[in-house]
This record gives sequence, C-alpha cells and structure tokens, in this order.
Amino acid sequence: MHLKEPTISIIGLGNILMTDEGVGVHAVNEFERRYTVPEHVEIVDGGAAGLDLIPFIEGREKVLMVDAVNFDQDPGYIGELENDAIPARITQKASMHHLGLMDVLCIVRMSGNIPKELCIIGIQPKSLELGLDMTPEIWDKKDILIERIVSKLKEWNIPCALRSPQK
Amino acid sequence: MRSVENALQLEIPLNAQYIRNLIMAAHGVHDHIVHFYHLAALDWVDIVSALKADPKKASALGESLSNWDQNSAKHMKEVQDRLGTFVKSGQLGIYANGYWGHPAMKLPPEVNLLAAAHYLQALHYQRRINMVVSILGSKTPNIQNLAVGGVANAINPDNQSALNMERLYYIKTLIDEVQSFVRNAMLVDVAAVAALYADWTGHGKGVTNYLSAPDMPMDTKGTAFALPGGYIENGDFATFKPIKSFNDEYFKNGVKESIKHSWYKGDWNKHPFEETTDPNHTGMQYDGKYSWVKAPTFNGKPAQVGPLANVLCMYAAGHAGTKKYVTDMLNTISAVAKTKVGPAALHSTIGRIGARAVRCAVLLDECTNQWNALVANIGKGDVKTFNAPKFPSGEIRGVGFHEAPRGILSHWAVIDGGKIKNYQCVVPSTWNAAPRNGSDQPGPYEASLVGTPLADPEKPLEVLRTVHSFDPCLACAVHLVDAKGRDIITVKAL
Repeated sequence: MHLKEPTISIIGLGNILMTDEGVGVHAVNEFERRYTVPEHVEIVDGGAAGLDLIPFIEGREKVLMVDAVNFDQDPGYIGELENDAIPARITQKASMHHLGLMDVLCIVRMSGNIPKELCIIGIQPKSLELGLDMTPEIWDKKDILIERIVSKLKEWNIPCALRSPQK
Repeated sequence: MRSVENALQLEIPLNAQYIRNLIMAAHGVHDHIVHFYHLAALDWVDIVSALKADPKKASALGESLSNWDQNSAKHMKEVQDRLGTFVKSGQLGIYANGYWGHPAMKLPPEVNLLAAAHYLQALHYQRRINMVVSILGSKTPNIQNLAVGGVANAINPDNQSALNMERLYYIKTLIDEVQSFVRNAMLVDVAAVAALYADWTGHGKGVTNYLSAPDMPMDTKGTAFALPGGYIENGDFATFKPIKSFNDEYFKNGVKESIKHSWYKGDWNKHPFEETTDPNHTGMQYDGKYSWVKAPTFNGKPAQVGPLANVLCMYAAGHAGTKKYVTDMLNTISAVAKTKVGPAALHSTIGRIGARAVRCAVLLDECTNQWNALVANIGKGDVKTFNAPKFPSGEIRGVGFHEAPRGILSHWAVIDGGKIKNYQCVVPSTWNAAPRNGSDQPGPYEASLVGTPLADPEKPLEVLRTVHSFDPCLACAVHLVDAKGRDIITVKAL
C-alpha cells in the first residue's frame, strides 16, 4: 500500500510459464525478497502484460525494467539498454497478443509522457521452452542481476536496504 | 466451466449469471476497442500523414460527424504537436516496417489526425472498461472469481468488503463513460474508414457460413439468452437457424474436427468428445500436413466465427439493438462514401471491422442491461451467487459454449467419477485459422486471402489488413525484447 503516489517503477517482465522468458519477473521478486525500497518506488510484476503496463510507465520519473533480451550474445550475457537505445516502435504483428514492450513504449512516447529515465537490464535467455523452472545457467546469474538493480538505483539516488537475514 | 456445469445439469444462480455476463460484455468491449485502435487502425490510418492536417479542419470534420466532446481544434493541435515530436525523433525507425507512407494508405490528412487523436484517447477508455472486469473478477485478463456452480463474489449492499452499492455504482459510471466514447468516436471512426476504403468491401470475403453462440443467459438453466446466436449458410439470412439453449442438440451434434492437414497423429474427422490430441510434427507439406491448427466443421462445412458471424446471426434473429447499429453504420458509410452501401458489403474485410464496432456498441448496451438486472435482483433481497456441484460416480459428458470476442468458443468435457477423462477446446481462432478440412475445403483465413490485390508485393500490407480483421489469437506468450528492435513476425508474399 502506497501512501504517496509512486514516481518510480521497478518492473519485472516476462512469462514465467516459459522457462527463461520469466527471468525478469523472478529477478525482481528475488530483489524484493532481499531489499526494501522507499515508499515512492513501486515494484511491479509486469508478467506478459501489454497495454496494462502503461499506468506503471506513463508519467513516472524513472522506470527500471528487468527482462529477457535478445542481444545476439551467449546465454547469460547481461546488458543494459537506456532511453533512446531501447527500441520503441510499432512492430509488425499478426495478433493483438503481440502488443509487447516495444509497442507500449512507442505508445507512451506518442502520448508525450515518457519517463525521463528508462532503463532495461536484460539477460540473454537460454531456453524459451514451456516450463516453470529457469535453466540453471540463467538463474545462477540472479545475484549479478540483483546487484545491477541495486547499482542502477544508487545511480538514480534511490536508497534500498538489505532486509534482515532470513533464517 | 460451462462444460462441467452442462455435464452436471447444474443451475446457476441469477446473480452469478448477471455478474458473469457483465464481465463477458466488458471484456468484449475492451477487446474490440483495443483491436480496432491499437491493432487494426494502423493498417488504414497513416500517422505521418496526420502531420499535414489542418487541426481546425480536422476538428470541424469531427464535430460534423458526432457530438464527441474531445474533438476541439486545440486538442487536435496538441495531438499533432506530440505526433510531430514523436516522428521527428527518428530513431524509432517507424518507416522501416513499411506501414506508414505505404501506397495503399489513402485517408485524407484530417481523417488521419482525427483517428490518431482517438487512438490516444482509446488508451484511457480501454483501461476504464477493463476496470469493470477487474472489479468483478479480481484481476484481468485471467479472472479469479469463477467457480463451477457460480461466482465467488459475496454480495452485501452495505458491506465494504463485499460487492456493495458503492462498487456497483462505480461500475455503472465506468460503463457510461466508455459508452460515450464508443458511440461518438469509435462507431464514427470505423464508419469513416469503411467509407473511404469502400473498395475493401469487395475483398476478404472468404467463408460465408457463419456460426455464433447465443450468450448472456438470463435464467438459471441457460434456456433464455439476451443475445441470440446460431448458424447462417452461404451468407443467406433465410437459412438462419438459432441455437436455443446450453443443451441444444443442433449445436452439440454439429461440431467435428479433422486432422487430415494438421500435425497430429492419424487422419480422422471426429466429434470433440471422441477426439485425441497427439502432436506429430512432420514438417511443411503443402499437400499434406501443414498446420498446428485442427480443422473444425459445422455439419461438415467450414464456418467463419467472430463479431461478423455474431452480428449477422443477431441481425437475422431480429435483435433490435444490432439492427439499429448496423443500419446506422451503413447509413453513415453511405453518406460519407456518397453511394448506397447495403448489408451485402458486410461479407468482407471491412465488414468484419464494421461488425466488431457494432458488436462493441451492442455489448455496451448489454453491460447496462445486465447491470440493471443485477441491481434489481439484489434489490429483491437475493444475494445468492453459488450452487455447490456434486459429482456422480459414473461417466458424464458436457459442452459449454460462449460467444467470446473472437467468436464461438466451446469446451467439451468427459468426466468419469469426478475426474476429467477427456477435454477438448474448439476455440474461435481454430475455426478461422483452420487448414483445409477432411474434404479439402479451406478455412476462413485461407479462403479470404484469395484474390487480395497487392500494391507492393514486398510489403503486403493488404494481407495483414485481412488477417488482422479476424483479430487472430496467436502466440499469447512470447514478449521477448529484441535489442535491435526486430519484428517477431514477418509476412512474405510467396
């Protein structure tokens, strides 16, 4: 429950039914298990939502997303895309169900309310097969993904604190 | 769920029917708004051309067509400025995909600007109508309140933690807001696109056997429906035969699926209760098996499903609201196109888009009707929402059907001693995307693409227009970001 209107979103993206496709959701959930964030930061399980993501992006000051990204690199490669480097356009699609992040960012840009800071922390997936478990190769990178989230937040002057160790 | 209820011959409390109906209607409205503006419109509307429009003329045009209060010249100018900034940013690579500036685009700049403004407004209204779904169903798109026997919504008009009068009136506010947008912006935009692309009423006809389900049950047994459905053969209204209840044998016995051309083991044509689903990919064989989709038939023939089939069946059944919206739309199209456009034009790519807008308006009226019925029934002191199911020991069978946004959806369950023994879904996009069936007749997509003219074979926008007009349901699941922004789907003209 947020008492103040959130100005910053941390969004985990992906379909957790398709192994590594869900890495963004798993990583953000794991981040939330380990860290607390200030009240104006909203942590969102974006799943495979299309237009429903707009309220969590439009008008926010800063948005950090974690997602499986095709960098044309080896599985497990981690990269960052920021602001204009993030592809945002209307893609050619056969079905409405293909309304993905690129379309959503394009639409938010067209409506004139794109956040000042947009960042995607991406990881090259190994498998997109059906299945609830990620490949060990990708999930072994979770500590690095979480470190990247923490350091991006630090760069944005957003404090986050480790929760007390769990027993 | 309806298939299990049908197998048990379980009655559903009235409140549960009305709540389900409200969710179905709002969900359909949401789909139809997003489909038109955010998927299909960009096949016809050229955003770049909107930059050349005179905002005052666009506003005057909008105001001449309806009473919509968001068509002011000031608003048009603001939208144009935003689009200008967006297009100038250049790094978006929007021209690369061959959509905008395509030779088959031919709306005047002012119409493009008006449509672009409504495209952005539609983002707000699709969210508002989706709130009706999430208030009643806990979340969207995968609602959580359904149970075999009813819904899990507790009704207590005075309790903050139940479905109460405050929530119900909030839902009513949302419905009214969206109704204004659909009547004054969407119906007008669709009619304008249809009129200015009137040549497209001659393309994309495909299969003209139409099948649709009656829906919005108004009694506990599912024998009276607010929206009629049935079957029309060869596009002839005189052949219309209604489906009358959840137990209607005409529907139950009419459905079969063939796998002659589908990647499953064997070659048969079976009733869903008897079917199996054993995947067996054998590669692309143009004369053999070439699709993951099975080929459903109704009484041995392929059928088109979706809003057009639904609207034609409701029209044939004499549904007053449908007749009114169809007539209004054809009149607007005729006025803008300056030529008489009659119901025959509906058997086309444009017809499917027009029918979807008509269905959207019909569903919004139905939201209001269902809301009134629910509130009146609660007013009588009835707060029941659930009848507990009891499973017998032997084998039972049931079919459940629903007129979904993309057409008739049917689930077929065989239950033995309370456990599922066989379960088959015959979904709308299976009907429309079907490969050739057991007698080698093509399905609706295939048939509709024959004879489509292409202005530029390298960029077959026209093929997308027709395929999009069906509102295909494909690949729900992959949302991978590509670092270079490449398309997931490519369409090639062979």
